[in-house]
Amino acid sequence: MSRKTESTGHSAQARKGIRSWLKIQVESESYQPPRSGVILLQVLVGLLFFVLVTRFWYLQVHRGAEFTRQAQENRLRIERIFAPRGRILDSRGKVLSDNRTAYGLSIVREDCRDIPATLAQISEWSGIPLSQIWEKFRQDRFKVKPFEPLLLITDIDFDLVARIESEIYAWPGLEIVVRTKRSYPEQDLFAHVLGYVAEANEREMAADSALAMGDLVGKQGLELKLEQQLRGRKGLYDVEVDAHSRVLGKTLREEPHGGHELRLSLDIDLQRAAWEALNGEAGCVVVMEPDSGKLRALVTSPAYDNNLFAAGISQRDWDALRTNSRFPLQNRVIQSVYPPGSVWKLVMATMLLEHGILPRESVFCPGQVKLGNQIFRCWRRGGHGSQDLMHSLINSCDVYYYLMGERLGVDKIEEFAKACGFGKPTGIDLPHEKSGLVPSKQWKRRRFGRPWARGETYNVSIGQGYTLVTPVQVAVFVSALLNGGDLLKPQLLDDAPREVRGRVPARPETLKFVVEAMRRTANGGTAKVVGRKDADMGGKTGTAQVVKLKMAAGERRLRSSEMEYAQRDHAWIATWGIKDGKSYVVVVMVEHGGGGSSVAGPVARKVYEHLFGPAAGTKVASSQPEASGLRPAPGRTD
Amino acid sequence: MDKRLFSYINWGLLACMLLLYLVGVVNLYSASGTRLETGVTISSFYQRQFIWGLCGVVCMLLAMAFDYRQLRNLAWPFFLVTLFMLLLVPIAGKSVYGAKRWISLGFMSVQPSEMAKLAVLVLGARLLARDSRALGWKDFCCVLCIGLVPCALIIVQPDLGTTLLILLILGGMILFHGLKGYVLKTCLLAVPCFGAFMWFVGMHDYQRQRILTFLDPSNDPRGTGYHIIQSRIAIGSGELWGKGFGEGTQSQLRFLPERHSDFAVAVFGEEWGFVGCVALVTLFCLFLLSIFSTAVQAKDRFGSTLVVGVFFYFFWQIFINMGMVIGLMPVVGIPLPFISYGGSATVVNFTLLGIVLNVSMRRFMFKG
Repeated sequence: MSRKTESTGHSAQARKGIRSWLKIQVESESYQPPRSGVILLQVLVGLLFFVLVTRFWYLQVHRGAEFTRQAQENRLRIERIFAPRGRILDSRGKVLSDNRTAYGLSIVREDCRDIPATLAQISEWSGIPLSQIWEKFRQDRFKVKPFEPLLLITDIDFDLVARIESEIYAWPGLEIVVRTKRSYPEQDLFAHVLGYVAEANEREMAADSALAMGDLVGKQGLELKLEQQLRGRKGLYDVEVDAHSRVLGKTLREEPHGGHELRLSLDIDLQRAAWEALNGEAGCVVVMEPDSGKLRALVTSPAYDNNLFAAGISQRDWDALRTNSRFPLQNRVIQSVYPPGSVWKLVMATMLLEHGILPRESVFCPGQVKLGNQIFRCWRRGGHGSQDLMHSLINSCDVYYYLMGERLGVDKIEEFAKACGFGKPTGIDLPHEKSGLVPSKQWKRRRFGRPWARGETYNVSIGQGYTLVTPVQVAVFVSALLNGGDLLKPQLLDDAPREVRGRVPARPETLKFVVEAMRRTANGGTAKVVGRKDADMGGKTGTAQVVKLKMAAGERRLRSSEMEYAQRDHAWIATWGIKDGKSYVVVVMVEHGGGGSSVAGPVARKVYEHLFGPAAGTKVASSQPEASGLRPAPGRTD
Repeated sequence: MDKRLFSYINWGLLACMLLLYLVGVVNLYSASGTRLETGVTISSFYQRQFIWGLCGVVCMLLAMAFDYRQLRNLAWPFFLVTLFMLLLVPIAGKSVYGAKRWISLGFMSVQPSEMAKLAVLVLGARLLARDSRALGWKDFCCVLCIGLVPCALIIVQPDLGTTLLILLILGGMILFHGLKGYVLKTCLLAVPCFGAFMWFVGMHDYQRQRILTFLDPSNDPRGTGYHIIQSRIAIGSGELWGKGFGEGTQSQLRFLPERHSDFAVAVFGEEWGFVGCVALVTLFCLFLLSIFSTAVQAKDRFGSTLVVGVFFYFFWQIFINMGMVIGLMPVVGIPLPFISYGGSATVVNFTLLGIVLNVSMRRFMFKG
């Protein structure tokens, strides 16, 4: 009992203790919050409201449009749609420059888990050394964003594509990309005319905002010159992406427009005939329509396979082309300059007539002329005897032009030659055209600091010395002789209009006279190799010396075949032919070929055989040695 | 329970908080949406937030059930338990994201720093309620110490946000109570010195980096500056009327980081525009003013100081979070009450408001 009361007493005490601990203390005075505190709280709330609303106004109303644009930029990415490049066709629609599908392999760095292993796998698939793939990767990694594909290898063959396709699931970040590549089915035949395309480099991309990494752009030839027409315009996709660059959807913003298809005036069969006629010699052939200026063939040999460049040329191939002693990269029609040799006499004859020299005025050719202690020879050792203008052209008498040139002076020659389109580009739609050179007294003083020597006028008069022309300039001039004096822009496109770039300053009678001289030259003169009965033909040959040959009197001239290749003469022939109302100008130049009529002539004849059909009866006697043989006959028949 | 108690409840506050809670859940529904190739998928944040809110309401009712004046008695024990837990953290805590903040109790994890906020709030109220005079040096240091001790333990975790919040709550309460003039002046002078001390000694590199980036976000557009830039773009692109509910591209396409938690209000700003933001700010201000009115109406100093502590608890979070999202403050990991997702934060918020309602209910009761 007592124990019980004790325990209850104890618990009551404990309860009392807890109660006292739990007892709520109440302040006795009436509580008033501190005045300053109340104001502080109100001010804080007011400030919060004011600051936040002001800031929201600034961000959402004042600068809202700007942030809206930024949100759009976050969300939308522009993707370009490839536009096919225009094809290039010959005059009859044969494809010269085509697009083909090519497969490549690219890597998206962001999606790739293990880049070294992936690159090693690519190397294993493709057989390309790993170091080369790494190099490509390092080169381009800063040019493309991490979420964009970086093209590592191109032009994978189809079997390999199939194999990669079946294994690619194990390699995240890799994707097979389909691109179009340019292909040139005719390879060497049109290499210099067409040029080639390759991936745009940084300089080109900086200059043209429409170009992006990996785009193809023309680098040479028509592909370069007519780039804007061929390229077309890319289309645009608006691609919606999230923050991880995952593509959520695409909307077409602009459709792609393919490039223009270009039809050339060149004829593939004629081109091939001319190519075969050259038979591998270093040289070139120009076939031009004198009335329209359209080019029908433009062959330069040796050439290169432009597919090599379109596929991305290897260093080894490039070195081989670059260091080749026959310069296959050179377009000899427009990029090489040569002394014109006797072809120049056409220009001289036109000039002489315009400067009051009468056709009947004769000069006696003894075979050589002395000037001081120098001897200037005619190509014919024995001399031509008395020569008037017509015969000087038909026989290509050097002495006539030495003396007549001397009479007018080099400055008149320069003025006239320049008016005939020499010494400046013809304006052909091909890059890197050379101007050639028409020397003058002033030019020599500027260039060498020495006065003009009289003998140099002699050399210039027969197309030697400093005079340099391109084959296409000769073709334009001969066309002008035929069409009444219009110097036309040589056109490569089939629908190109006739474009007159200058006029030969000569009367129609003068032109008729020179044309008649050419006709007679082809009918029995030095250019008889091209003559044929079934067509109206004209021509003028030229054999241009490359080095001054030192010959003691009485010593025999060396034959071409006995000379070093680089010292041999350049062989020229400038011709025209008219049959069934169609007229053509054919200019052939064979580098270090030797005699004009013996080497260049047969090439031109073969071109005419293609144009006009096999010659019914040539006026060339079968005894003509150069007609059958490739190599020149004895002596110069210039 | 006395029926009269209900008639004294601060209904305005209750309405504000429920409205905010609903806005938060609805906004989280949109913030949970992610557009993928296949369409929009919605994660369950809003559902969980809804359930946490229900838990919070239960806690709130519990916090209203007893007389708040009991808290004065519990202040010290609770504070000591909290300190003990904080001491345990470096020993038994588990690391998340390189910071040790959690203690596992087996069935659940607790964050002692969350408890520290409450403990300091209640103990601060108790100490400040002792008398009505403005604080002199001695009292000021005494009150400050109960804040600094847990803060020292929290900042090494490291958790700058909570440390800052505790000090700011306590500072707000002290300012409300009043300081003697010379103490106030000295403190105002000391603030820059303290700032410099924090900069050179108290901060980690990443925290310093955040402040530098805040000053110039373009410094580091892919790293720390990314948050600030993207959040400004999100809010700014809302323009006047917003993009519409569920139409925010910045959030749905995941340009906006932390869009459920710290940057949830940016989602709101993007979708509801300036008009919505002004409405939300107004709602928050009304909410704060109703807490304020309870503090003014309270009939004892402890209750009033307690409510002022809660006022500052919410005020600073709103100020710092909104300020951060709209680029007025550096990025500090402090959520926005009711709008940001967070289970324990929601429960704590409701509980604290339960205490405020408790004070408002009992403002005419003076019996023991």
